[in-house]
Amino acid sequence: MTDTTGNHLGKLREMRSRAVLGGGQKRIEQQHARGKFTARERLALLLDEGSFQEFGALATHGFSDFGLDKQRFPGDGIVSGFGKINGRRVAVFAQDFTVLGGSFSEVQSHKICRIQDLALASGIPLIGLNDSGGARIQEGVRSLAAYGEVFVRNVMASGVIPQISLILGPCAGGAVYSPALTDFVIMASDSFMFLTGPDVIKATTGEEVSAQTLGGAHVHTARSGVAHLATDTEAAALEMVKRLLAYLPQNNNEDPPQITAYDPTDRMDEALNALIPLAEDEPYDMRDAIARIFDRDSFLEIQADFAANAVIGFARLDGFSVGIVANQPAFMSGALNIDASDKIARFIRTCDAYNVPLVTFVDCPGFLPGTDQEYGGVIRHGAKIIYAYCESTVPKISIVTRKAMGGAYVAMCSKQMRTDLAFAWPTAQIAVMGAEPAVGVLYRDDVQRAADPAAKKRELIAYYRDQFYNPYRAADVGQIDEVIEPRETRPRLVRALEVLRTKVQQNPPKKHGLFPS
Amino acid sequence: MDNLGWGLQMTVLGMGLVFALLALLWGLLHLVLRLERAPVVPMSGQASTDAAERIAAVADDAIGAQVPVTPTVHGMDADLVAAIAVAALTHRAVRRREAAPVMRTYWPGSLLYASRWVTSGRARQNRTWQRGDK
Repeated sequence: MTDTTGNHLGKLREMRSRAVLGGGQKRIEQQHARGKFTARERLALLLDEGSFQEFGALATHGFSDFGLDKQRFPGDGIVSGFGKINGRRVAVFAQDFTVLGGSFSEVQSHKICRIQDLALASGIPLIGLNDSGGARIQEGVRSLAAYGEVFVRNVMASGVIPQISLILGPCAGGAVYSPALTDFVIMASDSFMFLTGPDVIKATTGEEVSAQTLGGAHVHTARSGVAHLATDTEAAALEMVKRLLAYLPQNNNEDPPQITAYDPTDRMDEALNALIPLAEDEPYDMRDAIARIFDRDSFLEIQADFAANAVIGFARLDGFSVGIVANQPAFMSGALNIDASDKIARFIRTCDAYNVPLVTFVDCPGFLPGTDQEYGGVIRHGAKIIYAYCESTVPKISIVTRKAMGGAYVAMCSKQMRTDLAFAWPTAQIAVMGAEPAVGVLYRDDVQRAADPAAKKRELIAYYRDQFYNPYRAADVGQIDEVIEPRETRPRLVRALEVLRTKVQQNPPKKHGLFPS
Repeated sequence: MDNLGWGLQMTVLGMGLVFALLALLWGLLHLVLRLERAPVVPMSGQASTDAAERIAAVADDAIGAQVPVTPTVHGMDADLVAAIAVAALTHRAVRRREAAPVMRTYWPGSLLYASRWVTSGRARQNRTWQRGDK
């Protein structure tokens, strides 16, 4: 039979072959020489085999200024489409550094916006692989407007479908705002993000700084808090997406994937009963408690190096995804500060948006005192935690393990934060403030008048501790629902979440609240 | 005084008899040991080393005979089976962490198992967000 479309097919195949090569074989080899994958190789690692369906592979720009007419590549530096990750549908785009350094163009914007629109309409996660030198200067204001088109869609999709950004190379200037507007940012070790690069900084302020020191993965995961996870390699970053996605639903109407239970629900770890040190100022690692309570090997810590005085992350309980918020007594005694408040508040809202129940572990002596904190606005930052807990409608359970003092106790998921169940371990100390300052305020005159002020003070401190350094006063007045043995925590949580799985709570109709910022 | 003198004599006589018997016994034992002792043959350093090696070789053979035969599963030795088991467990752990289809209890993207209560509740929750909602 004669193939009447032979010529047409030949042309299509030739164009497709060119599209697959991106910026050409030479550029691909340069990319490999830098130890990096191409956009298509990254997608091949990320997506299930044979699941990728590309859109816009043949799109090119229409500009001819500055010699652009001689630099037309099918796809125009971005590969976008649909695929599957572990059988789950996702929308993806990957910037192709081999095409004009992955520079952001109007066509790139059209392709990203198209995939964003389809992802939002289909209710499926959007994953962006960023590797771009910045806006395509030759396109002028059009490339800037193109950023805006992507940003508005990032915002519209925020809290509706999970959006995950991977930074696998440079990400500079306006391009950084798109990842910053998404839910999670994962950086490979040799990538970097900044608004103004080292050259601009040197020209304007005279400060000399390298790209890595300015905006490397370590900077953004440990200091700025812009990124949530960092990995040593690109391949590990792509694997991390799969792991993270396992705790998130397809969209805000659905539940995260539940896996078959593999850890007994009634498992009681005796070591938990000995976890809290006898000396009340002695630190312990809250992650030990988390590891022993939740399903074995299921904890994925988020922002582990940023504000280490707070621990956040996802885990599984009886196969169900849960979000964990905890103070970390092993770092700054678990006191809350500006960064920890931001970290916690953001995570609470993420879990609330995606129907992930929250479990909070409280061991907090209060907010960190000091002028740095007050001048930095710790009040409004701390208020974010309160706002986020009060606003959230997912199941919320809190467990006071040791200290729960003052405003920090209220903020950290107390009953008034619309917490569904409040547990406490027998080691809990729930009070307005620590014993010494409290005695100083309450009994200043008594201490001064006493024959032996030091002895009187010791006596009064002991009395205060006896009265408040336990969970029973709080249990008396209903602030704590149940005082439990630490080893019982897992079965208690499993049963509580089983009941709360169908919890529905509605906030008053509003355009949106005014989140403290 | 007579009784005391007689008592001392008896003590000396009795103890003397006991010690005399013990000395006799010691002498007899010493004699037997001398008669039983093997004659010491002078040996060179090389000869003693060779003798020690012969003894060691015999001991090695005896120990070697006690080593059990390495068990195999379908022709694979224990190390290979262990490596395969570790790889399978690691793969399973990775699949679990990623909530792979084989580990899931339902297919994401489906509300088949969600209750009507939850479905309608979430619809109401999300409605507050929309502008122009009546």
